[in-house]
Amino acid sequence: MTPVRDITVRAEADLVAQVLEVRVVAGQPVAAGDELVLLESMKMEIPVLAERAATVAEVAVAAGAAVQPGDLLVLLRER
Amino acid sequence: MTVSTDASTTKPADRSRLRPAARLETLLDAGSISPFAEDDGVVAVRGRVDGLPVMAFCSDATVMGGALGLRGARVIVEATGAAVDEGCPIVGLWHSGGAQLTAGVHSLHGAGEMFAAMTRASGRVLQLSVVLGPAAGAAAYGPALTDVVVLAEQGRIFVTGPEVVRSVTGERIDMASLGGPEAHGRRSGVAHIVAGSETDALDRARRIIGLVQRPRRPHAISSAPARDPGVHLPSRPQRAYDVRPVIRDLLDAPDEPTGFEEFQSAWAPNITIGLGRLTGQTVGVVANNPLRKGGCLDSASAEKAARFVRMCDAFGVPLVVLVDVPGYLPGVDQEWNGVVRRGAKLLHAFAEATVPRVTVVLRKAYGGAYIAMNARSLGATAVFAWPQAEVAVMGPEAAVKVLHRKALAAAPADRYDDLLAELTARQVHEAGGMQRAIELGAVDKVVEPSHTRAAIASVLRTAAARQGEHGNIPL
Repeated sequence: MTPVRDITVRAEADLVAQVLEVRVVAGQPVAAGDELVLLESMKMEIPVLAERAATVAEVAVAAGAAVQPGDLLVLLRER
Repeated sequence: MTVSTDASTTKPADRSRLRPAARLETLLDAGSISPFAEDDGVVAVRGRVDGLPVMAFCSDATVMGGALGLRGARVIVEATGAAVDEGCPIVGLWHSGGAQLTAGVHSLHGAGEMFAAMTRASGRVLQLSVVLGPAAGAAAYGPALTDVVVLAEQGRIFVTGPEVVRSVTGERIDMASLGGPEAHGRRSGVAHIVAGSETDALDRARRIIGLVQRPRRPHAISSAPARDPGVHLPSRPQRAYDVRPVIRDLLDAPDEPTGFEEFQSAWAPNITIGLGRLTGQTVGVVANNPLRKGGCLDSASAEKAARFVRMCDAFGVPLVVLVDVPGYLPGVDQEWNGVVRRGAKLLHAFAEATVPRVTVVLRKAYGGAYIAMNARSLGATAVFAWPQAEVAVMGPEAAVKVLHRKALAAAPADRYDDLLAELTARQVHEAGGMQRAIELGAVDKVVEPSHTRAAIASVLRTAAARQGEHGNIPL
């Protein structure tokens, strides 16, 4: 049997921004390309997407929060 | 995103598969290999990739971990010199712990001669490196001097390994985390292509050689596929989107994974670069990607694009530049990180480029970033704009807030929004109009998204084939 391993993935802000909307809740399964959080910066709405299928382990921000590059937005668990 | 794993999947490799002969056979066309030189753990051969002549060398991982000595380095020097004389690409397969410790200064001298040979060949023949195992010290800088670095799953690149790092800085890290695919694909930008298996890595090298060395497919795809790249733009102009489906729809074979060979996909992802074909002709694509950082230019993305533009120019690959850029990314960090110095590299790269280069403004092109994305003023061969596109110093609302600061400040609170909207509408009409850019000659014409592929192809067909005469310094 192949050993199962959990991979924890951090979805981070990549620029200074404000959180417009959080689109997921803890425990929710997401597919690659699903929108996790919507950020606003440079007068643009920038979605942060899941890169691969995963489960949301933790949502670290709420709408209205100001975030810096590297800040954790959502913690995902891939299997 | 960053990834951490709790288990290593490394398993001891079958030693015979680590020998240069086996690796070179996987890289090169069957039956095409003839020996060139072999000494001190380095094997160099002539061979073919998809029928095209190439030179290739490989360090022997089964002898002293592939460590490089003076004589081994000189095999690489000879092979690189021969590739330049014969005008063929050269591929290095790396699995080497770096300089031979027992050989002392001899091995350092050899590494230096190898670096000098690679630099002499820079921009003259395509140099590719495929890193298949650990490549430390000299074996890290060898690949870094070449045009394209492909990193296999088991490839590791670093100047000093985990033990030295720990003894000097106290940081505890394993080889994979320090210099593996995640480190160089996402954090450092050292690897242009992060491949899966060793076979996949060698395949990717073959594909890149085919794209650069066979600039026109013998059977060109003449009829444009019925694609409308405009469908990927969101209806709301402030909404970000992924530019890669737009790129694919403009290129041949939009549904094949190999249709667009993206470079450095996870590093500085606010700009997307890569090679593909457009009606059979190889092109280099440079595109802002609004999905990341809104598509803003910053230090890293400008540098990434600059190096790619110079590589394409050196090898005669025409450029297709897709623009949707809100500006340079503001910030203390950016300024102190040298966005002025590093951003200047992109201005220099485009202004210097002699290959045909076509710019398409998809949605917006603001300020200094508009210029840096191959504006007409930098010498673009053709500049097209999609129907809703804007070219301006800044967005209309931001411009109004500067131009009409006093009027807006004096407006009663309940009138502010109306006044702002009214002034913005007037600003769009007067300054942001594409007509002004066309009158000046900064934009040639407005093209529909669905006609863009044909418009680019027509420019590339008629433009004189040129190539820059310069090296490809690893910017």
